[in-house]
Amino acid sequence: MINRKKFDFLLLVLLSILIILGCIAIFSASTTLIGDNVHTDNNWWKQIIFAFLALGAIALLLRLPMPIFDIIVLPLFVVNILALILVLFTPAINGSHRWFSFGGINFQPSESAKLLTILMVARIISREHLNEYRQILYGFLITLLPVSLIMVEPDFGTTLVFWASLLAMLIAVEVPLFYVLLIISPIVSIASSVWWPAIPLWIVILVLLLLRARLSWVAITVAGIANVFISLITPVFWMGLKEYQQNRILTFLDPTQDPLGAGYQIIQAKIAIGSGSMFGKGWLLGTQKNMNFLPEHNTDFIFSVVGEEFGFIGSILLLAIFMGFFFRIIFAISELKITERKVASAGILAYLMLQTFINVGMNIGLVPATGIPLPFISYGGSNLLINAVSVGVILKYLNERGFIK
Amino acid sequence: MIKSATPIVFRVILGLLFALLFVSLFRLQVVKGKTYQRIAESNFVRIRRITATRGEIYDHKYRPIVRNVPSHNLYLTSGKIHNFSALAKFLQRYFEISETELHDLVLKQRFKTYEEILLADNIPYETVLILSERMNYYPELVFRIGSTREYLYPNHFTGYVGRINEKEYELYKKEDYSLNSYIGKTGLERYYEVLLRGRDGREIVQVDAQGRSLELFDEKSNIEPLNGLSVVLTIDNDLQEFVANTFPEGMIGAVVVTDIRSGGILAYVSKPDYDPNLFMQKITPEIWTNLNRSEKPMLDRVIHGTYPPGSVFKPITAGLGLDSGVVTEYTKLAFCKGGMDVGNRFFRCWNHSGHGSNNVIDALKVSCDVYFYDLSLKLGLDKFYDYVKSCRVFGRTGIDLPNERNGLFPNTDWYRKTYGKRVGIIGHKVNLSIGQGEVLTTPLQMNAFYAAIANNGLWTQPHLLKQTVGRGRLTREQVMPLTKSRLPMKLSTIQTIQKGLWAVVNAPGGTGANAKISGATVFGKTGSAENSMGRTTHAWFCGYLVTSKPEIVVTVFLENAGGGGALAAPISRRIFDYYKGNLENIKKAAPLPPQFRTVEDITEQEIPLDAEATTDVPTPDIANPPVAGEE
Repeated sequence: MINRKKFDFLLLVLLSILIILGCIAIFSASTTLIGDNVHTDNNWWKQIIFAFLALGAIALLLRLPMPIFDIIVLPLFVVNILALILVLFTPAINGSHRWFSFGGINFQPSESAKLLTILMVARIISREHLNEYRQILYGFLITLLPVSLIMVEPDFGTTLVFWASLLAMLIAVEVPLFYVLLIISPIVSIASSVWWPAIPLWIVILVLLLLRARLSWVAITVAGIANVFISLITPVFWMGLKEYQQNRILTFLDPTQDPLGAGYQIIQAKIAIGSGSMFGKGWLLGTQKNMNFLPEHNTDFIFSVVGEEFGFIGSILLLAIFMGFFFRIIFAISELKITERKVASAGILAYLMLQTFINVGMNIGLVPATGIPLPFISYGGSNLLINAVSVGVILKYLNERGFIK
Repeated sequence: MIKSATPIVFRVILGLLFALLFVSLFRLQVVKGKTYQRIAESNFVRIRRITATRGEIYDHKYRPIVRNVPSHNLYLTSGKIHNFSALAKFLQRYFEISETELHDLVLKQRFKTYEEILLADNIPYETVLILSERMNYYPELVFRIGSTREYLYPNHFTGYVGRINEKEYELYKKEDYSLNSYIGKTGLERYYEVLLRGRDGREIVQVDAQGRSLELFDEKSNIEPLNGLSVVLTIDNDLQEFVANTFPEGMIGAVVVTDIRSGGILAYVSKPDYDPNLFMQKITPEIWTNLNRSEKPMLDRVIHGTYPPGSVFKPITAGLGLDSGVVTEYTKLAFCKGGMDVGNRFFRCWNHSGHGSNNVIDALKVSCDVYFYDLSLKLGLDKFYDYVKSCRVFGRTGIDLPNERNGLFPNTDWYRKTYGKRVGIIGHKVNLSIGQGEVLTTPLQMNAFYAAIANNGLWTQPHLLKQTVGRGRLTREQVMPLTKSRLPMKLSTIQTIQKGLWAVVNAPGGTGANAKISGATVFGKTGSAENSMGRTTHAWFCGYLVTSKPEIVVTVFLENAGGGGALAAPISRRIFDYYKGNLENIKKAAPLPPQFRTVEDITEQEIPLDAEATTDVPTPDIANPPVAGEE
């Protein structure tokens, strides 16, 4: 199973450190001090059990012969899509149909869909003799399948992760970068329409970048005009929306507009993290955590506990470990020579990286609250399991690589 | 092989994203750290519920029945507790809250340690004064002024409010109740919870330890509470008071007085009664034992007690006989020799010396049982059942109070189910014809039936709500339309029964002579129902008052008191007398009190002759009128 020369021990160690830090943070988050009384809920040992399960799953995955691994991806993907359909018929929890729950364990099919979709897309788009258009089209269609189902749940935040993974995979499959630029250009155009001077600036940048990519004049003109059109039509669409729809979008972008709802959580997270200051208040001693101002400080707002109790030093340390972990994955991508494996690793990297960024950003008020957990740190068994298995897939690829050097 | 650009792109993106996080964290924790520490120390940025003022309850002349009075409440913020055992001792000493109780409360709210828990309400002001100095040692405790209910007189219809219990909280938490909420527990308070409650507001508390605003949020993002609607009842406080006082001391029973035309209840008395204010304080064991004594003061005998009606039921039997053509007004039935043989059994008449042979009017007048025994032999049980059902003497009247009892009238199926297939129906039927045996009714059901007789056959749902005032003005019809239906009786039948009821009170030898008053006509029927609860009979009198038109219907029910003519009829007479004496006064509409007037009311008064009446009542804010009660 483990080939000592090829196995990436450093990546496994970094992963383990992250999981252990997660358990420590969860222990603190589930502890409440009232006067001299201490109450600890049993979340943290559930997480430890799942940590062992996750590591066990990686070990199993490494033992699995590569041909079998290659074969089971497609059936698992199909089963997962069926699960995504089935989950829509479960009773709603907090207004959305996301969870299967059996015996106290909740399972989100959208979690496993992330990994399986990445593996599927990687399989399809890295086939030889596909031109760029087909790569983009196939990748888009496969991703659209789970994404449209997840949109129905509804779970908007999760779908962002799918698109980011797709982009990363297109980059890894060496689709020329200007395609990626063209794909994301409408989104930038919509964003730039908020402030009109941004529109010409953005169009100029776009055209310059496309010129550098040596696109034909015709293509550049078409792309430029299309983007101008999109940025000009957006305000018209905006006016066409009902006021409550506008408000919903506005509060999503700026939660402080809704201080009794989402804005409240953001400000409490900011107070908690900010008051941690340079050195933090010490493990288990977070006052804001203790007052339970945040309803979900076990899961989505776990970073606020870290920030409060370990301060700037602690937060930076955690982020540095994350960064090292991601750099190690990027290193793995450059080591892998089989296109499909490289592309899949890039997708996994993008999905873990984006979740980390969105979650931490949400805690410090940098990005809108979308309910995405912090990989390896947030409480949640199935989430931890899937994230760990994703890393396991990269470890397996590294383990199986040949000596081409 | 060309070195791929892919890793570089990823490294750049990774570097950019994390650099953004590092910078933001630095700004938040290092640059602004001190500011946020100050905010955190105040422990005060949170959302607080602003409780809406509950609607009050008035009689039909806007005189209060239930009103809000300020009260002092003690709240605990468990997240601020420093010394748990000291706090427990303090609370044990002054508020009789045991340490385990406190522990449970705190544990239950451990996910919201910043939220205030209501520990004690209605604390006497003297206690507040005495304790306020000691309170400095317990920053986790705070006195707040809230409001509590004051019930102006003991009664059974208002019900009372209380702290929400765990079961109710689970059931209603989606409707924005908190663990500190009050909720109507019984009576109108429960039935009209949706109207009375209003909607709680929210405010963001954002002050630092020195009381300065932190200005994290816009002040205008607070949500103002919407106060509950006040409820105007059909009850007349003067009449209610008179009826309660005229009810004989020490007796058990119920009196209902209803306006015949509208179906609105003017007086609603069940004795013995209790003071709902008792439930506004912690109930001591002595009070609790007293409330549960054998006379059952908590039992609302108007709708929660079902009793054999006895002879007040006879008009229904008579009605069926007349309607089905078995007898006419003039038909004389079996000779009463103090009873009558049916099969091999002898059924007694209440008067052992006998009444001779009677027609329906005389049979009602002297309440001759034998006439009805004989009549019942000519009637089918299931037809009888259908007839009684459409007279609405059993089945809920639909009064706007929770948990009304059904009453009972058996049919053939019921007997077969209860006594087996081979039951003899005739003997039971004979008993049913005089309102004995299995038949059970509530005083309210009888009251509504007699109102329908007085109203020439139009049955109107008895009710308490007249309208709402305050934030929105809704009539009873807008809140919940009244049910009206016709009795199954022909008009001629009703007129015959009315003649009988007249004779009961006014003709010589009538059993209800004690109810007669001068200056107006009383119609009625006495009843003395044998029952399983005691040796003596239940005394009944159901009757109505007619001046130039039908006015009020009165039902008097006395549990195990004796004869209806001797005991219940005089009470009715006093009520009729009082009503006739104060007729003008009771019927005069009271002007709307200034606090409930809206702009439209004032302009309407200034320009009185403008024909077009403004009909646009403020649209109700309640999506669904209440449907509480049935569980």
